[in-house]
Amino acid sequence: MAEIELKNIAKRFADIIAVKCANFTIRNGEFFILVGPSGCGKSTLLNMIVGLEDVTEGEILIDGQQVTKLDPKDRNMAMVFQSYAIYPHMTVRENMTFPLKLAKMSEQEIGKRVEKAAQILELEELLDRRPAALSGGQRQRVAMGRAIVREPRAFLLDEPLSNLDAKLRVQMRIEIARLQRRLGTTTVYVTHDQTEAMTLGDRIAVMRKGEILQIGMPRELYDHPADLFVAGFIGSPPMNFLPARLDGGRLETPVGTCELPGDPGINLQDKDEELVIGFRPEHLRLITDHDDDPANNLNFEAQADIVEWLGADLIVYFNVTTEDFDAMALPQDLEIQSGNGSQRSLIARIDPDTGIKEGDTVKLFLDPKDIRIFQGRDGRNITS
Amino acid sequence: MTIRESGNLVERLFWGIGSALVVIYSLLPVAWIVSLSLKRSADLGDNRFIPHVISLEHYQAIFHDPQFSAALGNSIGIAGISTLAAVILGMFTAYAVVRLEFPGRRLIMAGALSIAMFPPVSIIGPLFNMWRTFGLYDTWAGLILPYMTFTLPLAIWTLSAFFREIPWDLEKAARVDGATPMQAFLRVITPLAAPGVFTAAILVFMFAWNDFLFAISLTSTNDARTVPAAIAFFTGSSRFEQPTGSIAAASVVVTIPIIILVLVFQRRIVAGLTSGAVKG
Repeated sequence: MAEIELKNIAKRFADIIAVKCANFTIRNGEFFILVGPSGCGKSTLLNMIVGLEDVTEGEILIDGQQVTKLDPKDRNMAMVFQSYAIYPHMTVRENMTFPLKLAKMSEQEIGKRVEKAAQILELEELLDRRPAALSGGQRQRVAMGRAIVREPRAFLLDEPLSNLDAKLRVQMRIEIARLQRRLGTTTVYVTHDQTEAMTLGDRIAVMRKGEILQIGMPRELYDHPADLFVAGFIGSPPMNFLPARLDGGRLETPVGTCELPGDPGINLQDKDEELVIGFRPEHLRLITDHDDDPANNLNFEAQADIVEWLGADLIVYFNVTTEDFDAMALPQDLEIQSGNGSQRSLIARIDPDTGIKEGDTVKLFLDPKDIRIFQGRDGRNITS
Repeated sequence: MTIRESGNLVERLFWGIGSALVVIYSLLPVAWIVSLSLKRSADLGDNRFIPHVISLEHYQAIFHDPQFSAALGNSIGIAGISTLAAVILGMFTAYAVVRLEFPGRRLIMAGALSIAMFPPVSIIGPLFNMWRTFGLYDTWAGLILPYMTFTLPLAIWTLSAFFREIPWDLEKAARVDGATPMQAFLRVITPLAAPGVFTAAILVFMFAWNDFLFAISLTSTNDARTVPAAIAFFTGSSRFEQPTGSIAAASVVVTIPIIILVLVFQRRIVAGLTSGAVKG
């Protein structure tokens, strides 16, 4: 168990900046997630923590001890790779004893630990098999087993579930969460999948282009994203975005105007500055007859374009026009389809009992407190 | 259905007969040599494929000849040392070329290839003079050095192809698991590269074992003369007799180690050891 402290860590490959000034502390026993699109530097950062990659600048401390220049073998951390990296010429048992033998542990202790790990991961019957005779999920387990037998100071997992099929991935995700709680070992987990990040993480760091945009608990990231990228990256279906502007203290959007949400503490130098508003699909709600007077809300009508029924949820895509608004600049790597021309698609998560069908025109409302306002020029969230 | 079956039959016949022809074509001379080696001296010219009387007199003769025993020892020693040295050096070079980033990697590979292309006969003259000056003439080292020169490129190219196939992650995993770079190389990379190592070793061994040019030019006595060169110095039991039977027997004897080597290691070469390392 350990506290991992990163101080101004930077990594440059020739002229490419892979990681820009990472500065944070992973607490003892924490399940910490590094999430971001591919190429954002999250794996590089992980490799620097474990020592497989040199640090260009800054320092890494584990429990206050300087490890920046320490060889990976001396850091006592265990890593699970996306490819599992199980040694193909060794049986499952040999794979798991390999790190213990290198640590010159006694045969008795090795036997005890392997047995325990095998039992935790339900690998007992596979111990004498070779990796080639294992399924993807079993290989994943062996890789985990090789990590836990060492009882290391920290687990580092690099996209461990990416090679599994969807169903197995959910199952292993739960197992990993359970295992981490049980062992209480500090864990750093790299993923590009925001669902994994949200479900597993005590805290999440969202990275993009080598930069850490925001660190926080899943709830914080979801409710108070620091900028447009985090807002669009976290959450599925993704947040809805619309262009907007301020008009005499009111928020003007393509679907109507409303009060400014709460006290945003907005200090806009330029009154005419372009803004982007964002709101979660579940905050776009249907107006039913017996609703309270939704005068303060943003009310509008829209036609359901596509309806996806997921059982518990109904995902409805509405088309709205944004004619007198300039096109918004959303981060390209979010891959949120921005609609065509002046059309924008909004996504709503609605109770399936409402029975909306494709082509229906319905009345929708949005509570201003659920709206997040972002600056158009740099994407910063200016809602408190 | 019938069309496919008849197609299959024609195809199988074609490949069957084709392979049989190739095997017969390449094994016939070997069979002839074996047959010659088993004939009595008097029957050597009888033009029979199957010996009339099987006799081991030629084998007894060559093993009683101190020249042949010495040559066999030289061959085994020189080819063995050349192989060991070339494979070990080749492993380090190939690993460095594949795994490490340094300027001139391509140059090394291209240089190695061009050495392999060099016609050996063109360096025999200078080498003869140099070895006489350096005192390497008619010594084991005098043969091991040129053998390594010509087989190292082969070893480097073969091994680098195998190293390239081994997933990088395995080595990283070993390092994180507490291995030093050397331990990771010896305990994870080398076992996985074993098929490549055996392939390279066999190729190098065969080159050194079969070489006649260097052996005949750079040796003069039993101190370092290898079997291919020694065979050329065989004499008949009288000066009116051709040493045909002894040559045949010696040829059979030197072929045996190669056959054993290939048979023993062909499994290792074919075995796809890397399967199952990463997702599959």
